[in-house]
Amino acid sequence: MTQVSFVAFWFAMALFTAATVLYAYHFETKRASLSKYATLATGVGFLALTTSIGAQSVATDGTLLTGSNVLVLMAWALVFVYFVLEHFMKVKVYGALLVPSALVVLLVAQLMGASTDVLEGLTPVQQVLLDSWRVGMHVALVSFANAGFLISAAGSLLYLVLERQLKHKKSTKLFSRLPSLAQTDAVARRSVVWAFPVYTAGLLLGVLRAIETDVQLWWADIRVILAGLVWMAYAAYQFMRWRKGWASRSLAYIALIGFALVAVLSVVARTVPAGFHVFGL
Amino acid sequence: MHLVLIGLSHKTAPVAIREKLTFPAGVQHDALNRLTQAEGIREAAIVSTCNRTEVYAVASSDDGGARTVVSFLADYHDLDVAELRPYLYVITGEKVVRHLFRVVASLDSMVLGEAQILGQVKEAYDHAFNADATSRVFNKLFRQSFEVGKRVRTETAIGESAVSISYAAVELAKKVFETLEGRSILVVGAGKMSELTAKHLVCNGIARVLVVNRTFERAEEMAQRFGGIAVPYEQLYECMREADIVISSTAATEYVITKKDLAPVNRIRTRPLFLIDIAVPRDIDPGVNDLGGVFLYDIDDLSGVVESNLEERQVEARRAEGIIDEEIAAFFAWVESMEVVPTVAAIRAKAEVIRQMELDRALKRLDLSEKDRKTVEALTCAIVNKLLHGPTARLKKAAAGKDGYEYMEVARTLYGLEDSEDRFGPGAFRNLLNLKAREIVEKQKETGEGFGC
Repeated sequence: MTQVSFVAFWFAMALFTAATVLYAYHFETKRASLSKYATLATGVGFLALTTSIGAQSVATDGTLLTGSNVLVLMAWALVFVYFVLEHFMKVKVYGALLVPSALVVLLVAQLMGASTDVLEGLTPVQQVLLDSWRVGMHVALVSFANAGFLISAAGSLLYLVLERQLKHKKSTKLFSRLPSLAQTDAVARRSVVWAFPVYTAGLLLGVLRAIETDVQLWWADIRVILAGLVWMAYAAYQFMRWRKGWASRSLAYIALIGFALVAVLSVVARTVPAGFHVFGL
Repeated sequence: MHLVLIGLSHKTAPVAIREKLTFPAGVQHDALNRLTQAEGIREAAIVSTCNRTEVYAVASSDDGGARTVVSFLADYHDLDVAELRPYLYVITGEKVVRHLFRVVASLDSMVLGEAQILGQVKEAYDHAFNADATSRVFNKLFRQSFEVGKRVRTETAIGESAVSISYAAVELAKKVFETLEGRSILVVGAGKMSELTAKHLVCNGIARVLVVNRTFERAEEMAQRFGGIAVPYEQLYECMREADIVISSTAATEYVITKKDLAPVNRIRTRPLFLIDIAVPRDIDPGVNDLGGVFLYDIDDLSGVVESNLEERQVEARRAEGIIDEEIAAFFAWVESMEVVPTVAAIRAKAEVIRQMELDRALKRLDLSEKDRKTVEALTCAIVNKLLHGPTARLKKAAAGKDGYEYMEVARTLYGLEDSEDRFGPGAFRNLLNLKAREIVEKQKETGEGFGC
């Protein structure tokens, strides 16, 4: 099973690489046939990644919540959410941003996985802490929410680029390839609309688990603090979204800041072995 | 086959000449009949638009064909040949194919990449086809040209961006709002330019039109034309709370919309505001562009967009030339296959392959001496030769006639010499046979042998 997982993982990587090239070429040439092949490659890659995750879970008798596994889950969620987005909004431009993003997340996961050992050296307290369905749900919800935040960041980035081009009256090739301002804004906002409650639910489950296992000073952990900051950034985003007259440009900046915090939390903070939240580095 | 093209266009003739040489739809049938009855003209088609009149013909010779067509153009319009000649271009041979493909791809148009020309050439071909003025060559050439037109439009971005001020405004509005359906527009000033731009926007789905003008009656007149609402001038900023797009074109000498007055309105707005200022002197304070969610384009900005779009079309035109090169090669490959000598050679080679296959199969079953073997071989050769002699001789004779290509086509179809469209489809075996036949022909060319017999 481990071998199946390994082969399926690298097959998915190869397909996502091909899809990245095809999406980029489609962005450049706007050839419809290329986008079909890109979607096909992403779809097959997604199935291969699902197979890899499933096979790995069977091999280890349940999904281990290591840092690399969580990142793989996040990449999987990202591709899944992208498909939902493509289905409803019929825009393929995001494929040129999100599929390579998933590829990068998988590569980081691979690098992390190679340098760490799985769940060895956990204290008895940590082992008790992890022994709950709430922890699995906490990780899954946060991973899906992170995928949503990444899509929101991609939409916000495109919004800022397009807004700048419109303000400066630039009619470049990039300008003609980008989706409309209204659409980029809608993608960014809608992604946060569903990702924020999912993230909140994920955090609440984590907090609940920490409280019920009586972890001392659980909040004084670098990753818990960063997660709180992420939550506050997107809470501010939601609040300002409902405030009349608040410009989309400011929301786009908040979405980018929020995602920068997510990136720090997902990758950088894992390399800081401090606090209680260090299991599964 | 001699392809000839005589024509004039916006590049070679002023409108005063172009308007004298048009062939409206109503006269095309008659004109084509006259042209194809002229000596040496086998096929003809006339492309007549406001920017060009071009007569395409398959003639028995280049020079003779060109002379006939020029005379026809002059006679048909009661003009003097000497008067016309300075404005005409004469193109012959392969260049005709390139020219037609460039025309259909809109590379020769006044506005590079415009979409109308493909439909106009299709219409011209329909007229020629219905008048029985086309045959095998033009049927193939024009149909392939339509493929060229389609390929160029789908594989390049030549027709994507707007190249007129009003379309540029529509395109930019769509870039902001995605779709104009359900949006509202505020027209400030009841001038012609604002009306034209508003008309384009309304055609793209604008739901509500508000018109503001210092003279309320003129605002009412314009609002009536769009099924909109006229609003008193004093309510200009109130209207801007609801409007998504504002078009301003008044004769005012000072700014009609200022940053100072728009800022409070913008603060309570939740949607972007797209402002189009087509007045000179300008109506809208350029400073409003600094407000969040407000996008202002004046006449120079729109011209700049048009200019850069045209530059982009030039880049795409170079890609289109590549597609045209490919299609020209494909067309002449087809022409070559339609020549009589390769057709006859292919029929004979195919017959030879079948003869040899059947002979080998029969000889395997029979235990013949060398002498008997040679006798049977000579017998099969004689049968094949006698069966093919008549058809091939008549084919050679027919090829020289007016409908020669039709005979070639029929022969190639009956003998299964056409390449199949699908590599692995029902034609795959036939292609294999053709391939084998070609190999035998090549081998026999090298060794100097005849077709086996």
